[in-house]
Amino acid sequence: MTLPDFTLIAPQLIVLLAALLVPGLHFLTRNDKLVGMVSIAAVVAAGLYLGWMILEGVEGSFLGVYAVDAFSLLLTGLFLMVALLVLLASLHSVERDRHHGEYYALLLAATAGMMFVACAQDLIGIFVGVELTSISSYALVAFRKNDPRAAEAAVKYLVIGGLSTALTLYGFSLLYGVTQTTNLAEIALAIGAAPSVALYVSMALIIAGLGFKITTVPFHMWAPDVYEGATAPVATFLAIGSKKMGFVALFKIFLVGFIAAQATVVSDMQYLFAILAAITMTVGNVVALSQTNMKRLLAYSSIAQAGYLMMVLAIATEYAVIGGLFHMITHVFMKGGAFIIVAALCYLSIGDKLSDYKGLAKRAPVLAFSMLIFLFALAGVPPLAGFVSKFVLFSSAVGSPGAEMAGQWIWLVFIAVINSAISLYYYARVVKFMYVDEGESDERIKVPMSFMAAIVICLVAVFAIGLYPEPVIKLCEAAAAALLG
Amino acid sequence: MTDYLLSMILFTPLVGAVIALFMAGDKLKYARWVALVFSAIPLGLSLLLVATFDNNILGYQFLEQYTWIETSLLHMQYMLGVDGLSLIMVLLTTILVFLVVLFSWEEKERPNFFFALILGMQTGLLGVFMAIDYFMFFIFWEVALIPMYFLINLWGGPRRHYAAIKFFIYTHVASLVMLIGIFALAFQAASIEGWSQLSFAFTDISGVAFSSGFQVLVFGLLFFGFAVKMPVVPFHTWLPDAHVEAPTAGSVLLAGVMLKMGSYGIIRICLDVLPEGAVAWQIPMIIIALVAIVYGALACIAQRDLKKMVAFSSISHMGMVLLGIATLSDIGIAAGAFQMFAHGLITAVLFMVCGIVGHNVGTRQIPLLGGLAEKMPNYAAFMMFGFMASLGLPGLVGFVAEFNILAAFYNWGLAEGVAWVIVIGLASLLLTAGYYLWAMQRSIFGPVTDKVDVSKVHDVSVYEGVSLAVLCGLIALFGIFPALAWDFVFPVASGLAAVLGVI
Repeated sequence: MTLPDFTLIAPQLIVLLAALLVPGLHFLTRNDKLVGMVSIAAVVAAGLYLGWMILEGVEGSFLGVYAVDAFSLLLTGLFLMVALLVLLASLHSVERDRHHGEYYALLLAATAGMMFVACAQDLIGIFVGVELTSISSYALVAFRKNDPRAAEAAVKYLVIGGLSTALTLYGFSLLYGVTQTTNLAEIALAIGAAPSVALYVSMALIIAGLGFKITTVPFHMWAPDVYEGATAPVATFLAIGSKKMGFVALFKIFLVGFIAAQATVVSDMQYLFAILAAITMTVGNVVALSQTNMKRLLAYSSIAQAGYLMMVLAIATEYAVIGGLFHMITHVFMKGGAFIIVAALCYLSIGDKLSDYKGLAKRAPVLAFSMLIFLFALAGVPPLAGFVSKFVLFSSAVGSPGAEMAGQWIWLVFIAVINSAISLYYYARVVKFMYVDEGESDERIKVPMSFMAAIVICLVAVFAIGLYPEPVIKLCEAAAAALLG
Repeated sequence: MTDYLLSMILFTPLVGAVIALFMAGDKLKYARWVALVFSAIPLGLSLLLVATFDNNILGYQFLEQYTWIETSLLHMQYMLGVDGLSLIMVLLTTILVFLVVLFSWEEKERPNFFFALILGMQTGLLGVFMAIDYFMFFIFWEVALIPMYFLINLWGGPRRHYAAIKFFIYTHVASLVMLIGIFALAFQAASIEGWSQLSFAFTDISGVAFSSGFQVLVFGLLFFGFAVKMPVVPFHTWLPDAHVEAPTAGSVLLAGVMLKMGSYGIIRICLDVLPEGAVAWQIPMIIIALVAIVYGALACIAQRDLKKMVAFSSISHMGMVLLGIATLSDIGIAAGAFQMFAHGLITAVLFMVCGIVGHNVGTRQIPLLGGLAEKMPNYAAFMMFGFMASLGLPGLVGFVAEFNILAAFYNWGLAEGVAWVIVIGLASLLLTAGYYLWAMQRSIFGPVTDKVDVSKVHDVSVYEGVSLAVLCGLIALFGIFPALAWDFVFPVASGLAAVLGVI
């Protein structure tokens, strides 16, 4: 028997090993700073190795469960970036807490789970990855266990997460029963042949189960409470990391099937996704209008962004997948940047209410300016990254280059555009608090280096992708082609 | 050097904006000098542009074309160019921004940020008039919006937050609807022509033969986007609020240039790319234009706030622009474009005048004013000149524009057998003269008011006087020699009308 080629999943293994190593290291040295630095080093090392893999164009399959191709490499890289941003934001945020070893270990394990989902080409592979991330994040939310808000959020998250896992698993088992296989490519071939009631039921269960992860309305209720209760870096992780993982899983299960199988089940599911997308973005944006807490506001804005991304599942063309992947990438930097600023302000005891942001432009000009850029980018104001990715994503609802203009989803793009305009209102409200209103104090705020590093990464990405999106779009094109075969 | 002339005009203000932003602390007093220099350079360059522009060539000149985003599905270009129509809009923008900087010379409140916003907005505005690729056009369209939001929000009047957000939301919704129209154009063009890449270049898309049904539909989307910006009744309600609350510099650029983006878009995109749509929408456009003209004028009569009156007069005058365009004739379109230029100059005077009275006397309420001519003779002279120009006094620039618009409209009426509709247009002139003369009579003539303390009121300052005088000079110059601007726009208009005429 020959051993499989472990180098294919080396980035995942590096992160996983670091996750196992960090608690021991902390136990031996009792050095809080060190474990944080080791975690960052592990993520950077995994990223460098991944960069080499992308440059070399490595492709292959690990035991038929994990595929390495343009899609998985891009998403793995994105998840590593999420981990880096969250780790940078964590260094100071948790410095007054205990159990550093466990915190970083959980964060790394959750990251590894997401990275496995990115490569999975099998239902079991997806499930294991999703669960690794979910279970780690339940514990992360409960990290400040003496804070009643955190404890409440963690219990809520655990109960709802458990339910969603059960639904997903039941859906998977039905899908296996119908198609006799857990391999995604083979499932795609099988559902084209045999649409049955069990298939519809299984798809509904999977949508509901993963719908919790991506905060689709009506499975979104937990998100604002959990984001508010969790420490800000963990909330960042949930919003830009684990949500993306849910999308990756949905893309793999549905899009691969949709494109391969031209059966009736396809168009039914597309309409279901379109309606869910429309409801999700509208509820997210409308509820966000009345929020007074920044974390909750960003939580609802994330729900709205999930609605935009769900359009991809409805439209289900290669161009839409490109737009979806592109928007996922830009969203990591825009939403990540905004959340990290919230984390920094929580750490500096400014607070996370909107009214705490009054006069921020005078107290911390760089922070306020960065927040302004992130929020405007989220609203889709050019020439920032969010504009270009929304441009591609929304335009995919109108048509696909080189294909006949269908016009089937024009209504969806109208809803998306109106939502985009609504979102501008609450983002502009935050800007007004920061720039126009006078704060109670004029004292300058000094932001620690690690926060600044994370914010600068996001800021550079938001500008660079906005002004020169070509390389990123090309990566997305290659990834979409790889995903859809 | 003319190879990069447009880029230089476009980005000099942006560079100036960044430099002005850094003039904080004890360097604060230099912010205005930075603004002056970096608005004078584009002005000088745009005069050079006018001088080297070859009026015998149809189509875009000073072309700059670089690939910006090139993937297997998308093809977006950095593409600039000007024709006669964009040329006079570029000139108008550079003139007004320079004069606005001069006018705001004594701005005390965070001048570095203030001038940076004005210069940043200039880049957005110029970009809209120079871009000949839809992707770029849209980007600049939106970029122009944000500085205005901050200008209103930070330097505005008491209800500035409401006005700023209303302005932002209204125009943003409109731009997004326009964006859907642009998507439709690009995809349909790619599908008809069998391109494997989406292209957004004006020159690629304007040659495509779209079906009539598609044209009517997409014309509606684009027209909505542009009409809100112009604005026409019933999408005008953001304008009076924004103007009343905006600082004078903001109002001048808003009415002087930003509103023109809307009518520019209608001529540049709607008429050029969707001629059949334009013919189908002709009657609705004429009705909307007439309603805007008359409603705007009637609303003016009812206003007590001088600035609000001027804001409503903008609605009425932009209705004139739309009326000219909607005749779809060469004279009408050219006169509409000329009115854009004329209104830009005149309205700048009007808003500066409103700003001065608000600042120097402390109120803009017409019933509280009176006899200002005695206290502020120079001011009264400028105000009278501006009002006369706006009501269409022969010899000034407004007359040429309105005369030709109404002549084209009358021609259209004759051809359609409804010549009587000209009465509506003429009645509006009467109303216009009425509200201006009445407002003047109440505010600058008659006995000196005793409702506000005017004993210490001083006349216009040097900086204000210089900018007003230059504007008044230009209004007279283009009124006496309209050919200076007309000759640039007429070839563009007759080119469009020739296509529209055969449908």
